[in-house]
Amino acid sequence: MTDGALLLQAAADSTRAYGEFPVIGARAFIWITAEVHLMFAAFVLGVPMFAVVTEAIGIFGGDERYDRLSKEFTRLLLVAYSATAIWGAMLVFGLSTLYPRFWAYLTAIFAPSMWAYAALFLVESFTLYLYYYGWDRWKKGRAKLGHWTLGILLNLWGTIVMFIANSWLTYMMSPPRDITPTTDPTTIKLWHAIANATWMPINVHRVIANVVFGGAIVGAYASYRFLAAQSDEERAHYDWMGYVGNFIAMSALIVLPFAGYWLGREIYQYDQSMGITMMGGFMSWLWVIQAFLIAVLFLTGNYYLWIGMGRIPGAERFRPYTKYLLIVLVLGAIVWGTPHTMIADSKELAAMGGSHHPFLGALGVMSAKNTAVNLMILTTFLSFLLYRRANTRPVVPWARGGTIIQGAMFALAAGVVLFYGIRGYFVEAIVRIGFSVYQVLAVLSCIVFVTVIDVLMARGAQSLGTIQWGKMPPRSQYALFILAVTFTWLMGLMGFARSGIRQYWHVWQVMQDTSKYAATPALGYASKMISLCVLIFLTLVAFVFWLGGLAEKSTFVASGERQGGGRHVGH
Amino acid sequence: MWATNLKVVGIVLGTLALYTLIANKIPQVQSEVPQTLTLGANVTPEQLVAAGEKVFNGIGGCPTCHGLGTRAPNLLTDEKGTGPIGARCGKREAGKSCKQYLYESLDNPTAFVVTGYQPIMPVMTRQLSPEQIWSVIAFLESQGGTVDVTGDDVAKAKQLTPGASPANSGGSPGGGAFAAGSTDPKAIIQAAGCLACHKLDGQGQVIAPDLTHVGARRDAESIRKKILDPASSIAKGYEKLAGIMPKTFGTMMSAAQLEALVQYLAGHK
Repeated sequence: MTDGALLLQAAADSTRAYGEFPVIGARAFIWITAEVHLMFAAFVLGVPMFAVVTEAIGIFGGDERYDRLSKEFTRLLLVAYSATAIWGAMLVFGLSTLYPRFWAYLTAIFAPSMWAYAALFLVESFTLYLYYYGWDRWKKGRAKLGHWTLGILLNLWGTIVMFIANSWLTYMMSPPRDITPTTDPTTIKLWHAIANATWMPINVHRVIANVVFGGAIVGAYASYRFLAAQSDEERAHYDWMGYVGNFIAMSALIVLPFAGYWLGREIYQYDQSMGITMMGGFMSWLWVIQAFLIAVLFLTGNYYLWIGMGRIPGAERFRPYTKYLLIVLVLGAIVWGTPHTMIADSKELAAMGGSHHPFLGALGVMSAKNTAVNLMILTTFLSFLLYRRANTRPVVPWARGGTIIQGAMFALAAGVVLFYGIRGYFVEAIVRIGFSVYQVLAVLSCIVFVTVIDVLMARGAQSLGTIQWGKMPPRSQYALFILAVTFTWLMGLMGFARSGIRQYWHVWQVMQDTSKYAATPALGYASKMISLCVLIFLTLVAFVFWLGGLAEKSTFVASGERQGGGRHVGH
Repeated sequence: MWATNLKVVGIVLGTLALYTLIANKIPQVQSEVPQTLTLGANVTPEQLVAAGEKVFNGIGGCPTCHGLGTRAPNLLTDEKGTGPIGARCGKREAGKSCKQYLYESLDNPTAFVVTGYQPIMPVMTRQLSPEQIWSVIAFLESQGGTVDVTGDDVAKAKQLTPGASPANSGGSPGGGAFAAGSTDPKAIIQAAGCLACHKLDGQGQVIAPDLTHVGARRDAESIRKKILDPASSIAKGYEKLAGIMPKTFGTMMSAAQLEALVQYLAGHK
């Protein structure tokens, strides 16, 4: 036994393995602190991405509204950073006092990365202070570009910090296969532990998810300010802000399933039994709930867009089509939510008449679900396209041909998705899995090429009237709240899925959880914990927004006070 | 403004309540921690079946694949007109009783892969204790067949692998108890589960290098080193699998077993 192992053994012998937290218990305490910390972390990572992009639009597009919008959200980050750090500290104290042996194991492997994490968090915080407090000082010319660079650095530090933390939790899920229960943790090379099978898929998935989350929270903030607005002008400003937030959230959401697919595939490749536990084992019902939540997101996001078309002159041309889009979305949601691989005992199987439901079984397979979700993504993209075109009429000579090509691309993509969806029923599973790649490629290609054509076609387009920002019914703003709550709840649910598939292992098949909380709870209990975490987070975010309002005025500048900037036009 | 605030709070709480309600209305399945199973010599078939059903649906995780009809054959319901597993297990392999067939399927799942399915099943004897294995066999026999597992089967298995309880210890028996102390290379290969990844003499998987002619590529010293320290050399074309092979074989086998295995493989020119 090495010196390190002897020291650890001595520590293990003298240290209790688990502590207890009053009333709610150790697991619930760690669950809440980890989840709320993660939600704030997603907020302080997602919003700077939003801020730096909108600042860039302000700089390079010459529209000061975007610059003011960017500053308004950076202001909220100041308090949110403190909240992130506080919940992070609670989590670390919780782990070191309630799960001391497990924490000792993790620190034995990851200590250097933990030091780097703390140092980078410090650098990130000071970059944020410079970024915010230097906003008005570095406002023009090169100084403004320097300021924007600070925003980029802020995102860079934040992303590295997230990647480091991701390495710890992904190690718990997928430790390299040469590490066994008898491996002395002090002998494990740091990079070997960091670069585990699920690290990069989680990194990519979380970067995209943070953009979605940032956009959704921005949308909720704007909707509240819209509802509380005292004038039409202020209402118009926050209507526009809500649109931007929703646009970013929905755009990133369209890409998110592909990143999730990659993560799922890596989990299967790492350990087939873990993948099966996740998708077909005791967690199988979780995916039905997830399908329901994503259906809510797609339907609500599209609903917001369709209502928004009411404030766009010229949009009435496209309104008749929305009912067909709605039909596709609802049918897609129903298919996606169809259960298939449920755990069932012999009595339940006998009652069902076999391993699958005689009718629904055919809709519950991945061929049908992949087809459904890809068609839902295509439909949502079409909604965006119609919204974008609503108040313009292209004048380029090839406009008609371009529109026909776009239509053909949609038809081709939908055809490819349907073809492989149906073909999947007639081939082996191993072949069928490969079909989803073709479906995804068809949809992504359609999105990219149709967008390029649309941008070129919009050059010099004739305007059919100014968008009537602020002319939105209140129900549209409540839709943005539902989006924010659903995104946050979904984040909690997916966190439970990722963590829960380890079941009774702290570190999968390396370090077993022997505490009284080792059993992984059912979805009912998990949902209560998730709702509690979401409620805590949203309450604190509301407090942060209120504080932001106390400290400074909003970025809205009434026309009488405004020195520059135009009306709220364009997208 | 208060009316707006109340509406916002109502929307938020209502959405949370709806999601929580739906999640509580669906079937509730908790993932249990494996419990130590102790069965005496006088255990009855009914007790074995009852214990086996718990293992099957719990720690064994069997319904995850068996029962869906897509990943693995149905065991509790009919499989392509052959009935549930208890009714068909004795007819699957000529000369093998139902009990023998089921045990070997759990101990070496790649030996009897049913046509149309992939060899994805893990070696269950490395995950479950002898008590758990035999109780599952009894439960499977009870599905349309006759239970002939007895306390003797459990006792014999425990004698062969004293102290073995992989599900609880996470480790292996170790030392001379490995492969019941046998120095027969085939028994060692079977116990170590080499064929789960390697192919040898037409048997096993092709995930890792084929060992049929390993003696032509490596001498005895190189094979010994590879078993004791799998990372010491990686076969060309298998770089992506570096780190997959367990490092524990050296500590699991006795010196005599290791030497017998090394010489056996080195002889495969």
